[in-house]
Amino acid sequence: MKLFKRVRSWLRAVLRRAELEKEMDAELRFHVEAYADDLVRGGMPRQEAMRRARLEFGGMERAKEECREARGVNLVDNLAQDLRFGARMLRKNQVFTIVAVLTLALGIGATTAIFSVVDRILFRSLPYPHDEQLVSFGVKAPFEGIEFMLAPEYAVLRGQPGPFAAMTSLTPGGADCDITEQNPVRLNCALVESTFLATFGIRPIVGRDFTRDDQRPRAPRSAILSYGLWRSRFGSNPLVAGKILSLDGRSVEIVGVLPAEFEMPNLARADIILPQALDESALDRNHPQVLLRTFARLKPGITVAQAAAALGPWFQDSLRFVPPQFRAEVSLRVRPLRDRQIEDSRVGAWVLFGAVIAVLLLACTNVANLLLVRAAAGRREFAVRAALGASRGRLVRQALTESLLLGGVGGVAGLLVAYFLLRVFVAIAPEGIVRLQQASIDIRVLLFNLGVSLLSGILFGIAPALKRPTPESLAGKNAASASWGFFRHALVAGQIAGSVILLAGAALLLRTLWKIQSVPLGFAGREVITAQIPLPEHRYPDTARQLTFLQEVEERLNRVPGVALLALSDTLPPSGSSQATFFASIEISGRPRAAQGTGGMVGWRMVTPNYFPALGISIERGRGFTEEDRVPAANPVILSKALAAKLFPGEEALGKSLRFSAFDRQGPWRTIVGIADDVKNNGLTASADPEFYIPWKNDPETYARTSYVILRTPISAATVIPWVRAEIASLDSTVPVGFSTMNQRVEKLTQRPRFDAILLALFAGMGVLLAALGIYGVVSFLVVQRTQEFGIRMALGAVPRNILRMVLGDVARWTVAGAMAGLLGAWFGARLLASLLFEVRSHDPLLLGLAVMVLLAAAFLSAWIPARRAMRVDPMIALRYE
Amino acid sequence: MDKQLELLQGTLELLILKAVSLGPLHGYGILLRIQQISKDWLEIQQGSLYPALYRMEHQGWITSVWGESENNRKAKYYRLTLAGRRKLQMESKKWNRMADVIAGILGTTAEEV
Repeated sequence: MKLFKRVRSWLRAVLRRAELEKEMDAELRFHVEAYADDLVRGGMPRQEAMRRARLEFGGMERAKEECREARGVNLVDNLAQDLRFGARMLRKNQVFTIVAVLTLALGIGATTAIFSVVDRILFRSLPYPHDEQLVSFGVKAPFEGIEFMLAPEYAVLRGQPGPFAAMTSLTPGGADCDITEQNPVRLNCALVESTFLATFGIRPIVGRDFTRDDQRPRAPRSAILSYGLWRSRFGSNPLVAGKILSLDGRSVEIVGVLPAEFEMPNLARADIILPQALDESALDRNHPQVLLRTFARLKPGITVAQAAAALGPWFQDSLRFVPPQFRAEVSLRVRPLRDRQIEDSRVGAWVLFGAVIAVLLLACTNVANLLLVRAAAGRREFAVRAALGASRGRLVRQALTESLLLGGVGGVAGLLVAYFLLRVFVAIAPEGIVRLQQASIDIRVLLFNLGVSLLSGILFGIAPALKRPTPESLAGKNAASASWGFFRHALVAGQIAGSVILLAGAALLLRTLWKIQSVPLGFAGREVITAQIPLPEHRYPDTARQLTFLQEVEERLNRVPGVALLALSDTLPPSGSSQATFFASIEISGRPRAAQGTGGMVGWRMVTPNYFPALGISIERGRGFTEEDRVPAANPVILSKALAAKLFPGEEALGKSLRFSAFDRQGPWRTIVGIADDVKNNGLTASADPEFYIPWKNDPETYARTSYVILRTPISAATVIPWVRAEIASLDSTVPVGFSTMNQRVEKLTQRPRFDAILLALFAGMGVLLAALGIYGVVSFLVVQRTQEFGIRMALGAVPRNILRMVLGDVARWTVAGAMAGLLGAWFGARLLASLLFEVRSHDPLLLGLAVMVLLAAAFLSAWIPARRAMRVDPMIALRYE
Repeated sequence: MDKQLELLQGTLELLILKAVSLGPLHGYGILLRIQQISKDWLEIQQGSLYPALYRMEHQGWITSVWGESENNRKAKYYRLTLAGRRKLQMESKKWNRMADVIAGILGTTAEEV
């Protein structure tokens, strides 16, 4: 109450200033006149009475000032005055202002842009109520990167929720689905359990949520639309619920619409969500086939660790159903939903954020240095103002106001920089950086920008502001006070240290990029075009029809001019999307099966004979596949060198037989006919899995949902692709074919490390530039300050070289100190980068040394230029200086 | 007239509260009233009166309205608020206690120690 009154009185005082000012005048005048009246009544002449009254009242202006102070008006008055003064100072020193604002704009802009990207990865809450309670849980096994559960195990767990308030599941992968009525379109459908939306706390904005009835195996199919689909296809019709949609040739009833901000917890695209109907066979504990992604909401107050502990007994129990040799490699995993979503983006995000903060600090340091230099020049003015009675607090406030103003202007300019930088990031960013496409400059980012601007204003303003004016400075003597000289040097040393760390990081990432790009792939990607042909299931429901189509494609494309070699395969290197089985599941004829462990993963591909020559994969021994191998009865296999070495150490593999089984399906015995060279098949950085090849047979039993056509052609891709597209379209124009050259596919895998490396190199470059500017500024200032001293030295016989050595020696001390500190920082900081590196040690002495050398060179160069000026000082002029 | 006493630190506000508690007054009136009650023993810097008044109004102890003075001029009249009255009571009590304590100390003789 009291506070409220005081605030009201203060507001009144501020807002109705002119009026109150007039009232104050009137009140004080009345006082003086009333006193004068009394004096006149006592017999004094009028004029004398007025004079006397004024005199006894004392300093009228001072009284008024104190009255204003009492009301708190001064705070605002002073601020306005400081702002005006600050603006005037900035306008007056245009060069200073431009340099400072540009420096800040770069620093703040880069920071804002990076923040807008990493905020969504690291900080911003997920679009679900109480998102901190949401976890992803399940079993972690060697053949699957993300935790999952087998449907029957999940069904058991669902009966005893334990630490979870709710749990739900969805079918991984999300499937393509087609709306098969007028205006057919291909969409992404997601299959989810009926508890899905409720668990995530999402309510449909139109219609209803799924119920248990919706997921009974033979229930009429129901669907919930995404907001986007609802808008684009149904014109936001509020009465959409109840309409029937033809999806993949089957009728489904639309029951609801998702809110606009909804996203799938696995970040998959979903235009329609459908209930996943699991029948009894899917829930058979002895023959698990269906894999689910499982999510849960923790009970309030339960931590992730507690939940994991609570699931322990259930997990131990479920291990009974895992083949004994795999048990050691299976583990339980419960983790926050955010961790699951960002996976490997976290380290990169932190590294970029850390780097850009370092750049911002460097920028602030530079501006602080500039301010210090300017403050040294304006010391006399400050001293005068202090002598005239400006309180110390007032002077500090004034200096801070100015730097905050500078920070504000820099922040606004930084916003522009951020806007452009963000567009550049999004343009050059690879796929797979989580949520990058969503990054934008919104209110959160604006607030961050404001915060950073003000904070940097304080950061770089505080040191110069606290400089206490001394009586000597009133005399205008240019005696640099030693302590501030130290401070400035320390700032420069700090800059050097920061830049060394940035440079070392950038060097490590660039080296990594170089290593990745020179990884031997095992195949020749030049002149190879690939076409991905996904066959829509509703048009090609059985494998016989798929085979016919592919045979037709093969035949037609062989006739396309310029196609030297043509092959089909179900997967392509070097990305890690080949099919795989356990090493332990390979059985060699006449040898007992390995009893323990999975032995790791073994990839396999189904290929036509030309696969090896088309991709330039050499057959080391034996032979490649031939057309005869494609008859149904033939069962040859070609092993990669690594697999042959692993299966038959020190033995000849050719001619031996083996078979492999997936889950519980036993394959036929296959004869090893050839050994192929190893090929990168797990991405560029991971070690390659051993693999084997089986022929793509002219047999409906060999089935592949997606197939790739591989074309080797000396003609440019831009010419051949339209021909191939036309050929396939003439067979079936509804098949969406995706083209890319082999080189593009490889390049895609280097995009992520390239993105990280480019950004870090950019920041390191900025850092070095800022550090160089900082050194240049400090040395220039020192040279100007010591001109007189140099003059005297030279008059006393010093040669220019001595002066140069003196100046540079001074700089060298600080630079080396900074570089050493930076080296130490890089030594410890590089460890954080470890997971981003490839075949580069985080403490690579060569790279660290290189970073230091680059910085020392930059420092020397930027000190050299002003130092030369010192060398050319004319003693006669210098002695008259000032 | 003997030499006037200089005002002790912090007592001006108490005196103003007391003066205003006897009836609404304008600034000059407050000055006169204090001098009158104190029989001219206290010297008040006229210039320091107004900042004190403004501060006290800002604190909510007194409030002001514009009115007519005795000789028909516009003047600003201050009166005590409820909060001001409480403050006056509290401060008076404190002052009296302080005065007693100090008097007690000063009245102490050697034998009593």
